[in-house]
Amino acid sequence: MATEKRKTENSAAGAKDELAQAAARPAAQAAQRASASESDSGRLTLDNVSARYGTFRAVKDVTLAVRPKSVTALIGPSGCGKSTLIRTINRMHETLPGATVSGSISLDGVDLYSSDVDPVRARRVVGMVFQKPNPFPTMSISENVSSGLRLTGGTSKSEIAGIVEDSLRRAALWDEVKDKLNQPGTSLSGGQQQRLCIARTIAVKPRVVLMDEPCSALDPVATLKIEELIRDLAAEYTIVIVTHNMQQASRVSDETAFFSMDDDRAGYLVETGPTAEMFTNPKQALTEGYIQGRFG
Amino acid sequence: MSTPVASIAKLLTQPTSGERARQRINGGMRVIVGVAAFLAILPLIALIFFVILKAAPYLVPTFFFNNPLDKEPGVLNAIVGSLQLSGLTVLISGPIGIAGGVYLSEFASPRVVAIGETVIDVMLGVPSIVAGVFAYLILVPVLGFSGWAAVAALSILTLPIMMRSTQEVLRLVPQAIREASLALGVPVWKTALFVSVRTALPGILTGVILAFSRALGETAPLLMTARGTNAENWLDFSTTMNAMPIVIYQYSNAAGDLLIGQAWATALILMVIALTINVLVRGRTVNSRTA
Amino acid sequence: MEGWAIVARPSSYLLNKSVIFDTDRPEKGVGMAGMELRQAGGMSADTLFRRITGTGLLILFVVLTGLVVAFVGYSNPLWTIQSPIDFLTSSTWSTGTIDESGQIVDALYGASGALFGTVATSLIAVLFAAPIGILAAIFLVEFAPPRLAAPLTFIVELIAAIPSVVFGLWAAGDLSNRLRDSIEWWIASSFGRFLPFLSEDPESPAADSVFRAGFLLAIMILPMVVAVSREFIRSVPISLREGYIGMGATKWEVIRDVILPTARIGLIGGVLLALGRAIGETIAVTMVIGNAEGVPSSLFQPGQTVASKIASNIGEASGEIAIGAMAALGLSLFLLTTVISLVVRVLVRRFAVTGGRA
Repeated sequence: MATEKRKTENSAAGAKDELAQAAARPAAQAAQRASASESDSGRLTLDNVSARYGTFRAVKDVTLAVRPKSVTALIGPSGCGKSTLIRTINRMHETLPGATVSGSISLDGVDLYSSDVDPVRARRVVGMVFQKPNPFPTMSISENVSSGLRLTGGTSKSEIAGIVEDSLRRAALWDEVKDKLNQPGTSLSGGQQQRLCIARTIAVKPRVVLMDEPCSALDPVATLKIEELIRDLAAEYTIVIVTHNMQQASRVSDETAFFSMDDDRAGYLVETGPTAEMFTNPKQALTEGYIQGRFG
Repeated sequence: MSTPVASIAKLLTQPTSGERARQRINGGMRVIVGVAAFLAILPLIALIFFVILKAAPYLVPTFFFNNPLDKEPGVLNAIVGSLQLSGLTVLISGPIGIAGGVYLSEFASPRVVAIGETVIDVMLGVPSIVAGVFAYLILVPVLGFSGWAAVAALSILTLPIMMRSTQEVLRLVPQAIREASLALGVPVWKTALFVSVRTALPGILTGVILAFSRALGETAPLLMTARGTNAENWLDFSTTMNAMPIVIYQYSNAAGDLLIGQAWATALILMVIALTINVLVRGRTVNSRTA
Repeated sequence: MEGWAIVARPSSYLLNKSVIFDTDRPEKGVGMAGMELRQAGGMSADTLFRRITGTGLLILFVVLTGLVVAFVGYSNPLWTIQSPIDFLTSSTWSTGTIDESGQIVDALYGASGALFGTVATSLIAVLFAAPIGILAAIFLVEFAPPRLAAPLTFIVELIAAIPSVVFGLWAAGDLSNRLRDSIEWWIASSFGRFLPFLSEDPESPAADSVFRAGFLLAIMILPMVVAVSREFIRSVPISLREGYIGMGATKWEVIRDVILPTARIGLIGGVLLALGRAIGETIAVTMVIGNAEGVPSSLFQPGQTVASKIASNIGEASGEIAIGAMAALGLSLFLLTTVISLVVRVLVRRFAVTGGRA
């Protein structure tokens, strides 16, 4: 009763309450996982990272430490460079003509932008799931999952079958497709295709999985399934997810980073912290304004 | 002024004279464009009908299986020659054209793409006789009147076709697919070959087949390179070769009904081959193309 | 604690980290357990592949350069005995005679007759093909019943697949006479009296004529006009059409006031492309135009085009100068079609950039 009354008086505050309750859940799981991780597999560190398209700076001086085997959500209004930022992590940003990255990004102590490092190989360790599911149209479901392995070579045929099944199980898709592995990847529904893309990404055993608004093209039921999947995947992988949906961030992530845009239209990191705290007690006024829905 | 309800009813049901005129114009234009479309199709029907009519009496087995010097002359060496010349042309210009198209689509910087596309545009506009004269000036002195010179001339014409069609088909491959492959850590060249080209493969093959069909029909370059011959010729590109278009051209002015009739018959074969290839290859995509 | 155990237990396949990476060289590894991030030495496969495919494009560049060099080079000897102006303006084409000292004298290669023929036939072709083609395209996109549109379009474009020599044969055997007895006769009897270039002798109409060649060309280039026009008409955004319809316009008015102005540049480009095709067409024209020297007195008389002249004369051309004349003819064709291709490209690029408003 009291909750409802507060909602009618100040809906923003009520929403904040909901977020806070949702945020508390993954935090507990994260605490368990943090103590369970055996090595530093998947510790990602960004130091003063800026990303440019030609002369235009889209991302300004981001410093962020991502804990291994956790889920970190990047939130903020559109245009703040969140997608650009994660594309610097798997070295996809530089594939666009004129695009440059400055600053350093290290994974488990290795500078991903060092001149010794082959960007192609960097992308095997840092995987990405895209906004719109993009299975390869000429390949079957199992071929899609094994595509990364087959194209980069080094895995024998007998192992591939096992990895395909394992990846599909981890992506919570196995039961739905096990009888039709040879059908085209595009014959699945939107949510299934996205899980297929997730299976394909984890099949090459990355340490970090980046997700660029993975649910924005999906219906609510598919979205919930994928959110559950993300929480399960965090046991093995470090996950960085860009999302426009604050509730999703609070449901799914352990840490949240809030971005905004400055006067030069460059995106910058406003504040970062454990998700529960960010949604109940943000330190910056800007953050609080966004969370309460006053802008963005 | 009548009540509002009545005046609206009047507005909706009784057009003014101005509006009637506009409707009449609309109807008139509808008829005109329909006639135009009919006129566009008419020549095809007339041509097919007439060619069949004139060719029919000459479509006997000896026509297909005999050579010009046999007692009952036929055009076998022309049929064979056409297939050989066009086949070799496509075999040579195909890989080069596809490679260039792949380069333009997957690797080239925007500036190179602009230059490359302009060059392709210019080469596509080169008339077939210009290619023939080029081969005549440069290659015939060296290679003689030969199949090689003919293939060179035809390749000049088909090379830009294949490059353009490969590039166009690759352009249709969604960028998202390439990104997915790159994000898996697949090298750029493997992405280009095993993802982009693989997805576009049906379209690339279509381009090759259509280029083959084009090469079959070319006449002018052949007249000054392969020249035509009455002798049998199996895979000897170093000397003159006969081809269907050459036969049609040379026999059309010939003396005697037989040769003229065989010109029509050859024209029929050529037309049937060209139309069949086009229908088979492009017909399947007709319904998805227009939307 | 139970939850911890379930969450923390990795699959056996995870423990097997070397499954994918054991081909790497661990002693040179950049720190990550068993994982090689460095590039292999030497030229990468990427660069090699890039070079191989780039060679394809390079070959095309080389061929184009070769064409230019060859035609300019081989036509050079002609300019030693006459100026380019003579080439373009004189209608006398004579290989000259050989005088006592063995020299060729009085040779004059004037191509104005051929140039006139090229221009005349191409303009006639465009005169007929442009309006009919554009109107037909309008029908196919805007008025045709949906299920009919695709097959009809396909049939129109099928004409483009028919080899030109078949067209030439049909024209020589049938179309030419029909045209002579119908359209030519009608135009000549109506206008021949006051427009001499449209006149014809009713007693002995010519066996071949410039007009008929132009008309045949119109039929042959029509599919091109239809195809390009269709694309540009279709590309006009639906929002523009709906805006005008919402104001109460009839379908034709939408076409006249919205679609045609918006697609105008593209339509012009399509007509120009078709014009280029008509200029270069050889065989069909040669079979119908009659190969007469000089500028004809009437369109209904035989004539020649640059392309047909090359086809007819190249067999007999010998000696530097005569061959030079052939090369000069080829060069003119090449220049004409190249200019048109470039103009179209610039036009269409500007169309795409401005999004339709010229």
